[in-house]
Amino acid sequence: MLQDESLDDFLDAFLGEKGHQKPEKKRWPTPAIPINTDNLAAVAMVHKDMKEPIAKKKLSKRTWVAIVMILVIIPLTIWFGIRFMGDRKYYFISMGIIVYTFVPFLMVFEGRKPQARELIIIAILAAIGVAGRAAFFMLPQFKPVVAVVIIAGVCFGAESGFLVGAMVGFVSNFFFGQGPWTPWQMFSFGIIGFLAGILFRKGLLKSSKPQLCVYGFLATFFIYGGIMNMSSLLMWSSIITWKSVLAVYITGAPFDLIHASATVFFLFVASKPMIEKLERIKKKYGLIER
Amino acid sequence: MALKDISLSIAEGDFVVICGKSGCGKSTLLRHFKSVLTPHGKRSGEILFNDKPLEEADLRTQSQEIGYVLQSPENQIVTDKVWHELAFGLESLGYDTPTIRLRVAEMASYFGIQAWFKRNVTELSGGQKQLLNLASIMAMHPSVLILDEPTSQLDPIAASDFLETVKKINRDLGTTIIMTEHRLEDILPVADRVMVMDEGEIIAGGTPREIGKQLRGLGHDMFLSMPAPMQIFAGVESDLACPLTVREGRKWMSAYLQGNDVKKTKIPLEKPEIESDETVVELKDVWFRYDKNFPDVVKDLSLRVKKGEFYCLVGGNGTGKTTSLSLISGLNKPYRGKVLINGKDVRKLSDKELFHGMLGILPQNPQSLFVKKTVELDLYEMIGGTKEKKNSVYDSDIEKKTAVDKIAQLLHIEHLFAQHPYDLSGGEQQRLALAKIMMLKPTILLLDEPTKGLDNHFKRELGGILRKLQEHGVTIIMVSHDIEFCALFGDVCGLFFDGNIVTSNTPRAFFSGNSFYTTAANRMSRHVFENAITVKDVITCCRMNL
Amino acid sequence: MEDSFSTYHPIINFFYFSVILIISMFFNHPMILGISLISAILYAVVLQGWKKALKFNLLFMLPMLIIVALINPLFNHSGVTILFYLDNGNPITLESIIYGLVMSVMLIQVIIWFSCYNIIMTSDKFIYLFGRIIPALSLIFSMVLRFVPKFKAQLKVISNGQKCIGRDITNGNILMRARHGVTILSIMVTWALENAIETADSMKARGYGLKGRTAFSLYRFDNRDKGMFGVMLILLVIFIIGVSMGNTFVQYNPIIIINGIVPMSLSSFFTYFIFLVFCLIPVAVDGFSAMKWQKMKEVIPEKTKCAEIRVGIEAQ
Repeated sequence: MLQDESLDDFLDAFLGEKGHQKPEKKRWPTPAIPINTDNLAAVAMVHKDMKEPIAKKKLSKRTWVAIVMILVIIPLTIWFGIRFMGDRKYYFISMGIIVYTFVPFLMVFEGRKPQARELIIIAILAAIGVAGRAAFFMLPQFKPVVAVVIIAGVCFGAESGFLVGAMVGFVSNFFFGQGPWTPWQMFSFGIIGFLAGILFRKGLLKSSKPQLCVYGFLATFFIYGGIMNMSSLLMWSSIITWKSVLAVYITGAPFDLIHASATVFFLFVASKPMIEKLERIKKKYGLIER
Repeated sequence: MALKDISLSIAEGDFVVICGKSGCGKSTLLRHFKSVLTPHGKRSGEILFNDKPLEEADLRTQSQEIGYVLQSPENQIVTDKVWHELAFGLESLGYDTPTIRLRVAEMASYFGIQAWFKRNVTELSGGQKQLLNLASIMAMHPSVLILDEPTSQLDPIAASDFLETVKKINRDLGTTIIMTEHRLEDILPVADRVMVMDEGEIIAGGTPREIGKQLRGLGHDMFLSMPAPMQIFAGVESDLACPLTVREGRKWMSAYLQGNDVKKTKIPLEKPEIESDETVVELKDVWFRYDKNFPDVVKDLSLRVKKGEFYCLVGGNGTGKTTSLSLISGLNKPYRGKVLINGKDVRKLSDKELFHGMLGILPQNPQSLFVKKTVELDLYEMIGGTKEKKNSVYDSDIEKKTAVDKIAQLLHIEHLFAQHPYDLSGGEQQRLALAKIMMLKPTILLLDEPTKGLDNHFKRELGGILRKLQEHGVTIIMVSHDIEFCALFGDVCGLFFDGNIVTSNTPRAFFSGNSFYTTAANRMSRHVFENAITVKDVITCCRMNL
Repeated sequence: MEDSFSTYHPIINFFYFSVILIISMFFNHPMILGISLISAILYAVVLQGWKKALKFNLLFMLPMLIIVALINPLFNHSGVTILFYLDNGNPITLESIIYGLVMSVMLIQVIIWFSCYNIIMTSDKFIYLFGRIIPALSLIFSMVLRFVPKFKAQLKVISNGQKCIGRDITNGNILMRARHGVTILSIMVTWALENAIETADSMKARGYGLKGRTAFSLYRFDNRDKGMFGVMLILLVIFIIGVSMGNTFVQYNPIIIINGIVPMSLSSFFTYFIFLVFCLIPVAVDGFSAMKWQKMKEVIPEKTKCAEIRVGIEAQ
């Protein structure tokens, strides 16, 4: 019972200590075995593996269809609307964007009959985004949504990134109120997640902290800010001049800056642990990419 | 190997209970009864369902015919509305709206769900949630119902309600039931068959009474998980049939002692072991309510806990036990009266003084403490990381490594260092949480329902650990529904009712003074012996009188 | 007042709001805008009461009206009626001022309509509407609605647990607080992800993923809904005919042309009237049902009515 005795001694010494008053020096012999480092090393290894995308570098057909939709058909609609729809073009465009961005994703996603686990992951991430947006309600523009969406895109691919983003935009407005801005927000969040997924798969974006933060900043400032400022301009006025565009971007810049720094902040503190957690879930429950 | 050489057959309409220690493979076995839930791995042997291999039954048949209720009431719910949840399985099976409407209406009526049919699921209590899970499975009209420790997260009243419903399903509808359960005293009397598992094998199987005999023969420690009457039966030599309930137990006692001259009928009440007169926690005429417009939750509560004492607060739901605990910890503040810790007003102590080296509070859900990806890192996390350097949260002269190793040894978790906290079993998670709390060197421990969801084996282990801490001067205040645990390990028990402690005493005096709110062993033996409150007491008394 | 338009089938609700929102977004004829604005305010008052609706309108809508009306002429210099020149030489025109006003009225009525829409179109109705078209996503939607309150509750549990080891967002300096906040969030995320696996198991156990999943709902498309749908369709068709006859044509640039008001023809008056009727459907439905209850009050004494309602609720 030698071990037991040493445990008793230890407890007396450990619990008996008071913070300020110094007890008599009692050194515990250090065992020869160092701290369980191989275990730490193993975890680090897992993380290293992750950094290099194991994924195939080739894009799937579905992804191509989505890219064409987003990069060709949507700008085409915007052009068409501005050219032909007269005064009401911006509403035409915003509706066009809802239809075009969502149709391919819906078709693809619904068409392949997603598994229960996929649904759960998307729902959880979207719920985290919504709860995050609600939790920081007192700080305008300081939201973790974009960070969550980017992480979703990096870990679960472009499609999931888009769906999480769009879902956050849609559901959070059930709590904050729907309006003409809903489709724009859904699209902006979605496209940020989508691009994060694509860039990661192509190997252009690594899951390292600095890279994610840079992407997060650029995406929030230029994609989210760019789209949302444009949308408010279109809502207010239908005569678009360089001056009015510039004016709206300048007035929007401080808000976008706060939003972008929030994204950077959240990615800086949370991206690594969050990605680790998601990777563990993927491994543990066989959710590795299809 | 999770399962070894298991052979069993279950007839239609049977009520089968599978029991065993945590980690004995019962959940793994249950999961083999439904293909979609079967864990990955290698399996040899065959599983037959209706005389055909289970794999041959397609997913549709399996989904419909084999219902599966899991452990956590909260996690099983998928949708946001009660009615939608009820319809979920039927939607999967592709029924049309009129059929689903009928089935859902039937289920809502049978389970008494009408009143909260249109609610959001978040508004339901734990018991209601688990009932909803059961109802949404039953809506698919399964012929087999599998339940994996369905009551472990419920309070005693909700748990026995739930088990009553399960019994009713078996009795009224003839549904075959296969379940694992810790709360055997409620379920064994109606079980047709019981399987006892250990280390992946079935070590005993048969009717509950046969099990009693078999286990006595084996001398296996699984016996500690059986209901008190069966434990007493096992501890005593007799030729009588094994009693299952307290009622049968009383009869058995009378029959057993018949003809013997019962001389020794009383266990002397022990004097409270006063090791010190030092009062550590004191509540003086404390009143508390959550809001100005709400009723009082704690009313004129006075309480004194001495150094090194193990104080148990027992009592029903919503009587204010947990609230009192939060008053002691300073999370809530009384509007009248005083809370003194080590003679100082809790309100005047800083968080650092209070929570580092003084108070340790174990939350009900241990998972709310886990931060890191391994047990070891999680322990270091409490004291500011693995670097051997003193900081504001760790000012001990003992090396961090020594402290972590010793605490882990104390709580029997040193073999789990490399694991992820969420991969541990419930009992292990509980011990890890306690270990994390112990890293802050508390001298007073506040525990809220620490035995919830634990089997008897883990309870004993926890009890032993708490004893050890007590020996080193740690004071423990525990809130619990588990009177058997309090009787075994407590120094003082207090009955909480309507915001106040009605009576408090040493466990022996306390429980023998109550007639309803007491241990099964006491209820079974009180007509013959006085003051026998634990199984061990009763066995000792029986042996002494032969 | 209790709203009875919301008790119609979700398809009716959704159809009504789609039509109204599209018309109010795509038409900037002053007559249409005016009718739509007044009806929107009226319905908002019915739904939210005078106080709330008035507060909303005065606090948010009025400033917005002024800002939008002012900003437009600053950037928009087209139009033939020049009023004066700005310092930088740009003209301010009557047309651009009027256009600014029109735009602000449009924006405001869209937002007020959306505020009504937010009350009527609950998540339940959405899940029903999209449950058949996009079943997987509408299930995700339902799950998100389930998880958000669950996470909020768990966040509270965790932060209480952390408080007990002296690590709450109220402990320590700003940096410590931020770190504690992040720790709490991190614990929450792990908890959410790990516990979700059981949710997935529960879905699979109940046959999720089988072919031919259906979507159940409590809603029934009854005769009342059919009638309402018919009325709305007829009104809409007449309105579209009126529109195609040019009764709602309007132009603000470079000169203002407004059809149908001066002189008002019979057909243009009829078009506006039909639109007014369409806009007032919900308010009218509410008014009729209020009148009905008033009449019932004379027939049934108050107490029995309550009892009946209770019986009705229990029967559900």
